[in-house]
Amino acid sequence: MNNDEAKFVLRAYRPGGGDAGDPALAAALEQAKKDPALAAWFEREQAHAAIVATKLRLIAPPAGLRDAILAGARAGTAAGRRRHGWRRPAWLAMAAAMAVLFSVAAWWRLAPVGGASFEEFAVNFVDRGFRLQKHSADISELEAWLAEKRGPLPAALPAELAALRALGCRTLEFRGREVSLVCFERDGKEFHVFVARREVLADTADTAGPRFHGHGKLVAGAWSDARNHYVVVSDADLPTLQRLL
Amino acid sequence: MSNEAFTQLVDAHYGALHRFALSLARNGADAGDLVQQTFFIWATKGGSLRDTAKAKAWLFTTLYREFLRGRRREARATSIEELPPGEQDIAAEEIDRVARLDAGAVMAALQSVDDVFRAPLTLFYLEELSYLEIADALAVPIGTVMSRLSRGKAQLRAALTAEERGAGAKVVAFAAAKGGKS
Repeated sequence: MNNDEAKFVLRAYRPGGGDAGDPALAAALEQAKKDPALAAWFEREQAHAAIVATKLRLIAPPAGLRDAILAGARAGTAAGRRRHGWRRPAWLAMAAAMAVLFSVAAWWRLAPVGGASFEEFAVNFVDRGFRLQKHSADISELEAWLAEKRGPLPAALPAELAALRALGCRTLEFRGREVSLVCFERDGKEFHVFVARREVLADTADTAGPRFHGHGKLVAGAWSDARNHYVVVSDADLPTLQRLL
Repeated sequence: MSNEAFTQLVDAHYGALHRFALSLARNGADAGDLVQQTFFIWATKGGSLRDTAKAKAWLFTTLYREFLRGRRREARATSIEELPPGEQDIAAEEIDRVARLDAGAVMAALQSVDDVFRAPLTLFYLEELSYLEIADALAVPIGTVMSRLSRGKAQLRAALTAEERGAGAKVVAFAAAKGGKS
């Protein structure tokens, strides 16, 4: 086994030492003990892997996921028991449930979203839930789509915010005026950026630096530039949002 | 399986499964769905899956299969794996730079790695499965896992460097913002 072959094998060695007893890796480990250059390479490789592993462990699952898993599994097993004991056609119950769901959804979609201010409207819009009209992680595609729809375009975004993974965008109306919405995501938290032209929201106060507010489970940050007013609404915590802006 | 045992199983593994799903799906909503679906299958599948000693590997395998079922794109794998290796040794400064990045930036870099390398790479960093178990979970030969880890690590290092450079600027033009397709 030469050093290149040893490196190839040792890249599969987990940083926590979980593979210490693996006989297939033993020869490569033994070679690393005898060859200082290979040993130094392996040490850096493990240090790098350990840092990446540590960073990933810091990412916590979203609040509520555990309860949703447990509730979903209980519902599934209960449904399974019912199926075995009582042969009611499942599609019949499903169809009835869907009919109720669609009628509720239709009412829900028609109800307008209110808000005394641009920020309050944005928070209410996110809180109610919405659908993206354009899905893409490519910012230039989103910009082209918004331009085609004549939605207000962000002049610039804080770099930390713009570096998040884009999910998509849509347009909507606030007080009969066009608003653009661009959505980003990181670590299971979503960041929804609402953009309105300054001239159409004359009563919205200028906010040169971002101002932050908590709104129950959501947080919001608002700021302005020469062209637009912006509000970002997120389900992340306030410090996370402040770091992004 | 009793409710208590199932809850213990969820508590033991849902965090790591969520990180794996987040890496694969690249967004929180789909990741949550994948984890829920995985445990739902465990809860409803029947007696054949009740060997709890193998539960962890089974859960990761099932989550990955559910992800693939949703994506249905294996054709790219062959051409990507034919790329020549080009790894440079890791410098000490590179380790320090990664240490300064926040967890979200590291996950974002991982999410930018090509699909075919990302699954084994994430499982490797989660440290829950050995390379042998990763090979079983992904249904690929052991040598392929090693090859994908090697190439995936090279891609990840490049992505981490890009994340680190991107963390410098304060404001960027909207059109100039990062825009890799998922």
